[in-house]
Amino acid sequence: MQIDPMENRCVSRRGWIESLGQGFGGLVLGTMLDRDMGGSSVLGGPSTGTGLGVAGSLNTLHHPAKAKRVVQLFMAGAASHLDLFDFKEELVKRHGQESDFGEPVEAFQNGLGPWLKPVWDFKRYGQSGRLLSEPVSELGKVADELAFVHNVVGKTGVHSQATLLHATGFQLPGFPGMGAWVSYGLGSMNDNLPTFVVFPDHRGLASNGTKNWDSAFLPAQHSGTVIYPGSENPIADLRPHKSGTYITGKSEAAGQSLLAELNARHAQDRLGDLRLESRIRSYELAARMQMAAPESLDFSQEPEHILKLYGLDQIPATFDKEINPQEETVHFSRKCLAARRMLERGVRFIQIWSGNDNGFPRRNWDSHEDIQRDHGPLSTGMAKGAAALIQDLKQRGMLEDTLILWTTEFGRMPSSQGGRGRDHNPYCFTNWLCGGGIRGGVSYGPSDAFGYKPLDRENPTQVYDIHATILHLLGIDHTKLTVRHNGIDRRLTDVHGHVLTELLA
Amino acid sequence: MMRNSNQHIAGMVSTFFIGALACVGHSQEDSFGVVSEVLERRCVSCHAGSKPKGGLGLETLGAMLHGGESGPSLDVGHPEKSVLLEYVSGTDPQMPKGGKPLTQAEVEALGAWVQAGAKWPEGKKLEDRHVPDTDWWSLKPLERPAVPEVNQEGYVVANAIDAFVVSRLQEKGLPQSPRADRHTLLRRLYLDLIGLLPSPEQISEFVQDPASDEEAYRRVVDRLLDSPRYGERWARHWLDVVHFGETHGYDKDKQRPNAWPYRDYVISALNSDKPYRRFIQEQIAGDVLYPGTSDGIEALGMISAGPWDFIGHAEVPETKIDGKVARHLDRDDMIATVMGSFNSLTVGCAQCHNHKFDPISQQDYYRLQAVFAALDRADRVYDRDPEVAAKRLELDKQIALLATEIKQIDEQIIERGGKPLSDLDRLIAETTKTLGGNELPEFGYHSQIETRDDVPKWVQVDLGDSQSFVALEFVGCHDTFNGIGAGFGFPVRFLVEVSDDPEFRAGVVRWVDRTERDFSNPGVVPQRFESESPAGSSTKGRYVRITATKLARRMPTDFIFALGEISVLSREGKNLASGCSVTALDSIEAGPRWQRKNIVDGYYYGRSKLADTDLKNLQAQRSAMVDGILGNETKIRKEELAGLISKVQGAKSGLPPQQVVYAGVVHIGSGAFVGTGGSGGKPRPIYVLDRGSVTQPKDQVQSGALDCFVELKSWFDLPDDHSESDRRAALAHWISDDRNPLTWRSIVNRVWQYHFGRGIVETANDLGRMGSEPTHRELLDWLAVEFRDQGQSLKGLHRLIVTSHTYQQVSSVTNEAQALGAESVDSDNRYLWRSNRRRLEAEALRDMVLQVAGKLDLTMGGPSFQDFVIEQPEHSPHYEYHLHDPDDLKSHRRSVYRFLVRSQPQPFMATLDCADPSMRVDKRNESLSPLQALALLNNGFMVSMARHFANRVEIQQTDRGKQIERMFLLAFGRKPTDAELSAFEPYIAEHGLANACRLVFNLNEFSFVD
Repeated sequence: MQIDPMENRCVSRRGWIESLGQGFGGLVLGTMLDRDMGGSSVLGGPSTGTGLGVAGSLNTLHHPAKAKRVVQLFMAGAASHLDLFDFKEELVKRHGQESDFGEPVEAFQNGLGPWLKPVWDFKRYGQSGRLLSEPVSELGKVADELAFVHNVVGKTGVHSQATLLHATGFQLPGFPGMGAWVSYGLGSMNDNLPTFVVFPDHRGLASNGTKNWDSAFLPAQHSGTVIYPGSENPIADLRPHKSGTYITGKSEAAGQSLLAELNARHAQDRLGDLRLESRIRSYELAARMQMAAPESLDFSQEPEHILKLYGLDQIPATFDKEINPQEETVHFSRKCLAARRMLERGVRFIQIWSGNDNGFPRRNWDSHEDIQRDHGPLSTGMAKGAAALIQDLKQRGMLEDTLILWTTEFGRMPSSQGGRGRDHNPYCFTNWLCGGGIRGGVSYGPSDAFGYKPLDRENPTQVYDIHATILHLLGIDHTKLTVRHNGIDRRLTDVHGHVLTELLA
Repeated sequence: MMRNSNQHIAGMVSTFFIGALACVGHSQEDSFGVVSEVLERRCVSCHAGSKPKGGLGLETLGAMLHGGESGPSLDVGHPEKSVLLEYVSGTDPQMPKGGKPLTQAEVEALGAWVQAGAKWPEGKKLEDRHVPDTDWWSLKPLERPAVPEVNQEGYVVANAIDAFVVSRLQEKGLPQSPRADRHTLLRRLYLDLIGLLPSPEQISEFVQDPASDEEAYRRVVDRLLDSPRYGERWARHWLDVVHFGETHGYDKDKQRPNAWPYRDYVISALNSDKPYRRFIQEQIAGDVLYPGTSDGIEALGMISAGPWDFIGHAEVPETKIDGKVARHLDRDDMIATVMGSFNSLTVGCAQCHNHKFDPISQQDYYRLQAVFAALDRADRVYDRDPEVAAKRLELDKQIALLATEIKQIDEQIIERGGKPLSDLDRLIAETTKTLGGNELPEFGYHSQIETRDDVPKWVQVDLGDSQSFVALEFVGCHDTFNGIGAGFGFPVRFLVEVSDDPEFRAGVVRWVDRTERDFSNPGVVPQRFESESPAGSSTKGRYVRITATKLARRMPTDFIFALGEISVLSREGKNLASGCSVTALDSIEAGPRWQRKNIVDGYYYGRSKLADTDLKNLQAQRSAMVDGILGNETKIRKEELAGLISKVQGAKSGLPPQQVVYAGVVHIGSGAFVGTGGSGGKPRPIYVLDRGSVTQPKDQVQSGALDCFVELKSWFDLPDDHSESDRRAALAHWISDDRNPLTWRSIVNRVWQYHFGRGIVETANDLGRMGSEPTHRELLDWLAVEFRDQGQSLKGLHRLIVTSHTYQQVSSVTNEAQALGAESVDSDNRYLWRSNRRRLEAEALRDMVLQVAGKLDLTMGGPSFQDFVIEQPEHSPHYEYHLHDPDDLKSHRRSVYRFLVRSQPQPFMATLDCADPSMRVDKRNESLSPLQALALLNNGFMVSMARHFANRVEIQQTDRGKQIERMFLLAFGRKPTDAELSAFEPYIAEHGLANACRLVFNLNEFSFVD
């Protein structure tokens, strides 16, 4: 029996979508089929779209987009704004004096020791005269591309809740990550790679594990796909498990066509159920991904000057046991270079993590004990990789439509914890953005003289504003990208969020 | 917005003047009270904020005078010229939009207030107090609808369900589909009711059963409902709803090793067909309503099923804002789980403001929080054997009785002792407090972890300068935090050396040598060592080093060295090590629990920081004073009572050991996580939080339920001295009340959804206004009443549903249905003119793979199997699924017994849309993606099971054709067609049977049920 002409199929497609009783779940799959049938994706889709998974849920953008792709750099453990990006003369002047916040302060670990000056010297960079501290000086090369927000406030000093808030917009687990929302709204721009990719810290996952990039109530294909560049098995289940010694290249090839044949025969007796066809298609797409994914992670064709730009030209066989800048650079830069390659191949959203959970010895940014010890190597590596990525994207003309966000859980206190570390500061910290649609070289929303709270306490920046701005640049009105779940129209920005127009180019 | 017509104004004005007269005598404050109340309840929800409707804000007088698109809303002193009055007066007023008009008295009060000068208290800002009304289908009382009479020509009506369904089909001009064949029905029924496949033998037996279709089918239904596999299958649905997980989630995703008894409770409750009313009551207040039963305790695992913020509770006290936030969110999860699961309401929407759509006020939300305000999530000890539980209860009663008598005597003592005694008691209390009765978190020193026990580890104390000493004392650790207990990490073999050289290169005196034989673990009993060296009883040295030569086993595969305290004692008994600096070969340094310095901090488990001689002296004084007060007879009686108590306690300790379940409990804790146990389970005070912010508490609230049913009041009528358990019992009764219509509608709708793939109401977790409306409202109500009034038997409900013709229809579109245009009338089959083809859930698919491979282990109950390897358990456990061996037999049990990790869900299952224990799941997502295809093709589990499947077939059959037939029978319950045979034969010849079996697992036919 022949498959129905397209007209009829579209009717039954709708029927089937609703018959799933899945609401959006079906809808997304439905749009995937639409695109397979020659429908156009919202934005930036390949002209010969066969689509790896999905087109977006939005039929048209809410307004013209400035960016197509996003890279989110997430510093787990809470990076110190004071020692990296937000220079405070006052702390230099009062270093070692008893701290006085002028009000009662609740610190996470009672870390209200004397004022602590920035651990490193700051210098000015670029035409904007951007102040950056020594370990992040690499970012000086792109200083005029960056837009800083110095008055971001959190809701809590608890790592897990704060991480969730910045990753998903909610303090509780069970909400989709920003990348999942973007994937859901805009869909894929490629035929053979995931839409949303996550590069975790190679040492392990941050607080909340995979909940930070989960699709939650959105369909599973919008979850971040975890990839470990440079490891033996960078993507789970891309290849048969090692126990499958009976599987050969030939058995795979013959198996694929036999599977397609038998599935097609099964579907013939069950006309109108397009899930069966979609599933057949998913196996074809999987086979394509098996080819495309390793290629996208293969640096062997990268020229020497690019490897040098990322600090990947000389990688030692082993690293020192103690945390060190070289190792951090290799690991972070490897993710940045893999990100560039995947962005080029149409991946829409990439999340790069620096730092894992709160294990010992510390391998994240939660420097209660010693800022210099942890922040030093971590930020050197981060700055090298991030600066390289920005320069590399720029020279390829991709920076203009790729948005980059640097964020963390919260900031750190201007006082010490008695020693060389700083306690949590959820009252104020720094984010920076750059790339597509962002006005480089600006500093927005100053913090107060100590970097303790926003200078204008009535008008802080919240994570919702950052998220709203990112969606805005992608052509999405953050109040309109919603999904009903358990009786509530959920959105990334909950019931909050204002676009930070001062940051827009 | 348009103005009213002039006529309308005239009408309004005349109405107003009558009102104005009626209002004479009201004071101005009175009328403002009425006005603000009306505005807050009826108007401010739209006319407030930065973008009020019509541009008109009504929160402040200024906003009213400023007005909106229709100009200023008030003309002070002139109600007849005021736009506000114009909009709300008359027979058909424009406002409140879509709502009931204001009452005449309300309009009159508004008019009087304007006329009197619109007095407004300085700085007053009105708040939205609008609560949506109860006029919504799901909130109406349940009534049993009549079963419709339908014309049965061309339709089969096997039971009442069909009558309701057919009646809608006929209304819509839709046909009914014929019953599916026996083969299809059997596979559908097995997978639906027990989540496993029928064996080829069971299929042929059923297909060949000479009994009538109805009779043969009914027998299978009964058999499946009697099977313990039924409870395992359906418990998984309920566990989705309550979001049951076995780790906390959030940061440091710690395990809950005792969560599983709740899972077993749900399975056994379903298998025993426990009446649903009791199922509800046990999960909210089983300990109160069914004391002495293990079900009554295990069921409380529902309250604790969801995530828990370990850091926010265990490391941040309730006095801090972060601690308050954590506890607020924790209660929010408890009530969202209870109310969402049983009543399908979204109460959580009312935590910052009144619910926007359903009649749930912010007040009601916090009253629900008050129900659980004494609880925390923690381990709870209980007796599984009801006889033992009864015995324990009896002994506890005896102890209580004896204790009461002792208490009476004590009260006499206090009375007679007067001021001298009370002064002494105060002194004792103060001294006890300074001594710190609580356990401290500074456990001790903890080395890095090794994978073998023969890696030497040392820790050493620097006494500052070379000193003489005569003895050493060590105390083992006690890790309450991870529940590991006494003697944790105490070295199995060790050595103590003394030297003046910090590197121990020269002048080393061996003080103690325990390297020849294993040292039995002393727990936390201090171990004293005097010199064994020939140098004599007193040794001199600056550094004392303890080297573990054989490490203690911490996990099956890892080993450590840990110590709670080291004292180095001088001849005078002085501890020279106190507060000295400590070094070690390595240390995990995870303050405050594990740090080198903890071993010289003077604290170890069971002992306070200071000497307690003062306290002993005071207590001696007190007993002398008491002896003077008491008469001889009473004194003897008191001693007798103490003896009796210790006897009863002895009997109690002779009872079999108790079990532990992770549940909602009154927790008695230490450190930051103290719980309410210390105050006897007194509920924490709960306040309405302005905008849900813990820093802005408003009025304190009592416990209560929701004010949304006409027939059922929301107040609990509890006495002032009620206990926390009274609150939960009251809520359990409120939810399980016959007059709570949501309870019964919710559960029958859920069960319907699992059978058909879609509920009568599509949004099973929301029967409120944001949810869908029922496709068959009368059917839903009929089922709800039938279920409620016939003993709340879930098995009865299943039987009713699966024996309906509606359930047994074919899932494909028949020629007749096509001819009648059924697909264009009802393309998504909302009216059930056929069955829905179902995709199998992750668990069913995994269980089927095991079953077909011949590997399924049907062992029931007990701790969950873990299909991961844990790395770094001491901080944030890493759950490494890829390190698990898929051939590990322990992991071949049904998926309902899989250990559920929150932060890192099993990737294979998650890819197949398995429920996420971080959120309440009423219905699985059904996605299709290439990652799913890759998982089913390449995951270790699939690859390994395909091999086992092939072995199984090869053992049974040697002939290739027969092998293919067997493969098909096992996986699909049918023989292969000729085309399939000829497709597989060459493939197997070239690539082997295992590859063919792997293909079979990946066929659409394997994942879908017709």
